[in-house]
Amino acid sequence: MNKSPPPATPPDSDTLGAYLDMPPDRRAAAKAHVALISATVRKCALDLPLSADVDDFRRVLTAEAKS
Amino acid sequence: MSTKLQDFDKLSTRALAAAIATGKISSVEATTEAARKLAEAHTLTHCTITPETDEALKVAKAVDAARANGETLGPLAGVPLAHKDMFDRTGKIASWGARIRADQPATTNATVIDRLARAGALQIAALHLTEFAFGPTGHNYVLGHARNPWDPTRITGGSSAGTACAVAYGAIPAGLGSDTAGSLRLPASNCGVTSIKPTWGRVSHAGAMPLALCLDTLGFIARHVEDLALLTGIVAGSDPRDAHTSTVTVPNYLATIDQPVKGLRLGIDATVIGEAHPDIQKAVANAVEVLSKVGLTKATCSFPDWTTLDHLTQVMQLPDAASAHAAYLMTRPNDYGPQVRARLEVGHFIAAVDHMTALRARGTMLARTLETTFKQCDIAILPINADPLPTIAELDVAGGPQVQQTMARVVKFCRPINYLGLPTLTLPVPRSGNALPTGVQIVAKPYAEDLLFRIGHAYQKLVPPQIARPLT
Repeated sequence: MNKSPPPATPPDSDTLGAYLDMPPDRRAAAKAHVALISATVRKCALDLPLSADVDDFRRVLTAEAKS
Repeated sequence: MSTKLQDFDKLSTRALAAAIATGKISSVEATTEAARKLAEAHTLTHCTITPETDEALKVAKAVDAARANGETLGPLAGVPLAHKDMFDRTGKIASWGARIRADQPATTNATVIDRLARAGALQIAALHLTEFAFGPTGHNYVLGHARNPWDPTRITGGSSAGTACAVAYGAIPAGLGSDTAGSLRLPASNCGVTSIKPTWGRVSHAGAMPLALCLDTLGFIARHVEDLALLTGIVAGSDPRDAHTSTVTVPNYLATIDQPVKGLRLGIDATVIGEAHPDIQKAVANAVEVLSKVGLTKATCSFPDWTTLDHLTQVMQLPDAASAHAAYLMTRPNDYGPQVRARLEVGHFIAAVDHMTALRARGTMLARTLETTFKQCDIAILPINADPLPTIAELDVAGGPQVQQTMARVVKFCRPINYLGLPTLTLPVPRSGNALPTGVQIVAKPYAEDLLFRIGHAYQKLVPPQIARPLT
């Protein structure tokens, strides 16, 4: 079976935000900024346990109030 | 002006309430004087969106009559306040600092407005904010920019710009603002006053304009820390209208505000502070010295990687704000100012999986901060501003190619604290000569607002509040 190499960067759909009326330079700047901050978040994802949950934040806050 | 109103602009909310309660000043006199000073402040700073003097005077007259009849009144009876124009009030349409507004007048008050009204406070005006509270500098490309009362060529900071200007000028003792990524702290710092951003969920957001509800936190700007304690105690606490509010009991902050602070550990993260401009680092050092004088012990602490926290915050915030505005952005894009439009658009390019990761990582990052940073200290000190106070022209980047980078630098020391949900108090750094104001933030563990108020109150015994006037 032919295997295609993994993409160097995550897939970026050309249709993302297509519904927004944006000039190309602003669209490019937005994508560049998102690429920067998303790369950091993906590094975080590598260390995040499978069980990490969006409600953990409120649980930690509540636990702190009781401590 | 009568003798009894000569020091009006120096009175705290607490002192003004006491003066009205004992009949030294009537509510009508206080409201009239506040409105007069607010008009002056507006000429200088563009701080007011809608003056509401006549309406406030009607309530003031009723308060004075009730007091004369011996009726029991609330702790803020007859005190004139004014707030950022982003709160629902029955029969009114808040401006949101924008061209786009709600279609219908509000049918109920925001919870914070209700709680202040029940305590007897008046509202004399709706105050300036950055468009949709989405901007940290006080620039508003729809309604006009706010100007700093110490130097009107310079920024106020935002988004709670009008509240900071009015408080700093001495028109009102305190007012409401909101903080999603620094919007209470930056204007308070730049205008030389104090602010409290409580723990996320400590104060109900019901009836307040949302920006990014996962981060939005309502709080106060005031000249006196004791006012922050008084007012937070009045508005904080659970609210059935806001599922995010905490059920943790709200203590009587004023009852403990004079407790000693000697021996509390002041955490200093030299790595994070070292990323600020050298002048800001010196300002932080000056504040540390004052805090040492009031009895705190210096300690080393370290936050999780600051850039990581900052990027996590953005990936969480931007889609939240973009989603809230999606309908308007797709149907009325030209009704936005250029900066808010450009910043809202960014959220549409963030992948859902990354947004989820930022949300899922939040508890882990908070737990890590509590287990490491706050094992080393009781509170931590951080800058608020990355750089000395810029001019309005210097940061007039609108929606141009520099907007993300410029805004990121402005909120650099603020945004991660919103991600962690921690409470933080702004304290003005001692000024000398004609120096422009700047502030520091002291940050505590969740729900430790009482500790912040105690330390801030002690700090103000050495660094008393000042009234802002243009420096010559």
